[in-house]
Amino acid sequence: MAMAMATPLRPTSLRNLHLLLRTAPRFVHNQFGSHNTSTNSSSVNPTEVSHFNALASTWWDPHGSSRLLHLMNPLRHDFIHRCHGMQPVPPPSANLRYLDIGCGGGIFAESAARLTGTGLVTAIDPSPEVLGVAQAHARRDPGLSGKLSYLNTSIEGLAKPGSVEEQYDVLSLFEVIEHITHPAEFLDACQEYVKPGGWIVMSTIARTWTSWFTTKLVAEDLVGIVPRGTHDWGKYINEEELRGYFLEKRGWNSPMVMGVVYVPGLGWKEVSGSEKVGNYFFGIRKDENGEFEIGAKSVVWGH
Amino acid sequence: MKPFFSTLRARQLNGYVCQTCTRQLRRKPQRRSYASTSSRTPEIFDVVCVGGGPAGLSLLAALRANPITSTLKIALIESQSLTPTRTFSPSPDSFSNRCSSLTPSSVRFLSDIGAWKFVRGERVQGYGQMRVWDGVSGAAVHFDAFGGAEKEKRDEGGVVAYMNENVNLTAALLRRVEELGGVEILDGERVEDITLGREAEEGDLSQWPVVKLSGGRELAARLLVGADGANSPVRGFAGIESTGWDYGRVGLVATLCMEGEGEAEGRVKTAYQRFLPTGPVACLPLPGKFSTLVWSTTPELAAKLKSLSPRDFVGMVNAAFRLGVVDLKYLHTLEGGQEEEAAWREDHVGFDGSKIPQRVVGVQDGSIASFPLKLRHADTYIGERVALVGDAAHTTHPLAGQGLNAGQGDVESLARTIEYAVAHGMDIGVRMSLEQYMAERYVKNHVLLGVVDKLHKLYSVESGPLVGLRSLGLGAVDALEPVKAFFMRQAAGTGKIL
Repeated sequence: MAMAMATPLRPTSLRNLHLLLRTAPRFVHNQFGSHNTSTNSSSVNPTEVSHFNALASTWWDPHGSSRLLHLMNPLRHDFIHRCHGMQPVPPPSANLRYLDIGCGGGIFAESAARLTGTGLVTAIDPSPEVLGVAQAHARRDPGLSGKLSYLNTSIEGLAKPGSVEEQYDVLSLFEVIEHITHPAEFLDACQEYVKPGGWIVMSTIARTWTSWFTTKLVAEDLVGIVPRGTHDWGKYINEEELRGYFLEKRGWNSPMVMGVVYVPGLGWKEVSGSEKVGNYFFGIRKDENGEFEIGAKSVVWGH
Repeated sequence: MKPFFSTLRARQLNGYVCQTCTRQLRRKPQRRSYASTSSRTPEIFDVVCVGGGPAGLSLLAALRANPITSTLKIALIESQSLTPTRTFSPSPDSFSNRCSSLTPSSVRFLSDIGAWKFVRGERVQGYGQMRVWDGVSGAAVHFDAFGGAEKEKRDEGGVVAYMNENVNLTAALLRRVEELGGVEILDGERVEDITLGREAEEGDLSQWPVVKLSGGRELAARLLVGADGANSPVRGFAGIESTGWDYGRVGLVATLCMEGEGEAEGRVKTAYQRFLPTGPVACLPLPGKFSTLVWSTTPELAAKLKSLSPRDFVGMVNAAFRLGVVDLKYLHTLEGGQEEEAAWREDHVGFDGSKIPQRVVGVQDGSIASFPLKLRHADTYIGERVALVGDAAHTTHPLAGQGLNAGQGDVESLARTIEYAVAHGMDIGVRMSLEQYMAERYVKNHVLLGVVDKLHKLYSVESGPLVGLRSLGLGAVDALEPVKAFFMRQAAGTGKIL
């Protein structure tokens, strides 16, 4: 879609509006539809990388282009807290391991590393500029050293866990999946990084007429609170698609969802049912009795 | 550091003004000192609180008492020695002249953080009503007449506020902080300088305030809290302007001995305040026969009052609640003998003895003091790694007895804001984490300062149409439930929006 091109922030013009309307959704298609992939493919879309490279410098400006992400970050923790609250046995209160994929400037990664229950956060992002911003910013907080490690890689380039201890309690994909070209393959790749009983948590936007109107037309074009070209509406994924994907796979349980709405002046608010129309969080837990696969050999464990 | 209003302005204009222009709006002088001569690596703290008064100590008690924020590494810097506060052992026959009224919501907060239990209850006096009247027209407003709904805002004893010595409160707070432990207390240490840190091998502290102490220690603060009073050095470091005016008045305080204990036993007492053209004079009850005086007046008249013999001073205080404005003016011109002159005049003036304080019979030795009255409001309470609370953020005229309560409200809000930030992994020092505190407190305090200021100015007028209007006004305030409820909510600190 033409709107996915990385374009700098600029005022709305009639021409842009016309272009946007021309590319408006005509039909809803499912991103999980089958397609051929070569074995060396990366989940990362080069256009997306260059778009976020261009945004790097403003990532930590609380009144800049990432303000909405800064405002949303506390809700990510609330959602993870809620997922953990679902477990029959609560997670350990110390030394939790987080893997943050598509960490961007590190808004979530830093905050996860600051929590008292966190042992380690590994945060990865394919954009070198953005990761540079994340690393420079983390240096400003001496409290983060030793708890947060950044890697400039995609999930495909990340070392595979060799044991349960190297897997993660929480794998987070915040505002990531809608930027991925082939989300099903990407999620396949993520799964082996999660500990049995651990969670994949993500946030994204439902692919509906409402979300096209709010995220593309209003937020990017009319009001300009989100940089133009940040989103490609065609890549948005609906909650039931994610649910269907994981439950079909087997080995996953307890799907959780929380719809949120940005209310100007009030910030992000949870609105029950809004996951059907706009931004939402999705969480799913790996079965505790699972198989740990390392290459061809497989290890089975119990509680 | 951008002053709040210019930041706000630039933000509001963002959508309407071209980028270059908004950028120019934002370009404000940087006030922070960038001079960094530090040769050593500073010790790193999460919270460094400058000022060990009621606001600073209650913030530390609140943070330490909460399991979520108790993991923070905290230091307190106080230029005075805290030993006298720590060893507070008062005589039942004397009271400090520095007292404050504490609203039920302040007391509830102090109980929540576990400090109220250390306040010596026998030195605290609740009062259930406040009689306020216009010294020129005699029009009265009874603060206790405020509808059934407002009664629920009081505590179970029907108390609208408690009179308490400030030192009783700080001693209790310090005991609580020391009971909780975990705060590095650096008392008797002056702040020599506050600068920004440096970028070093192990981390970039170039955005962190570093406080240099007279004893040589250097503390880097994730969040530097200015609880350091009206002339806040922390506010100066942050380049935050504080605007307002001097009232040209001083608050004259004294501990008074009354002829009796006041209202019947078991019942809460009454506070009195009369608006005189020179400023309000208030007599606020303490336990037993004691009361505390807060007389706002001109510096000249205050100097005169301080020079009188105790006997004549007592005569003047009695007269201030009883005689006409003209009589008081005349009494102020006398070199001495006020007591006899006032007694003689009282026989010729009609007043309702049930609506004024009991007769004062003595003044505690050495308790007469005065301090200048000012209105100040900082342009913002927050900056990058800086938050201001209490008098560092705002100072007000004492006529509503709200100064200390506003500070406690600040602290409760800031502690809650910090708790939220810690629970959500936010850096507690960055402006974004502190925005909630600013949003909760700024407008609320601004309204309070404004109302108090207008009351002061309204009653400073001695004659003319305004006097008639304001008696009408107070009469109307007395009659109109919603307006009364507004004043009462402010006085009791239960206001919702304002």
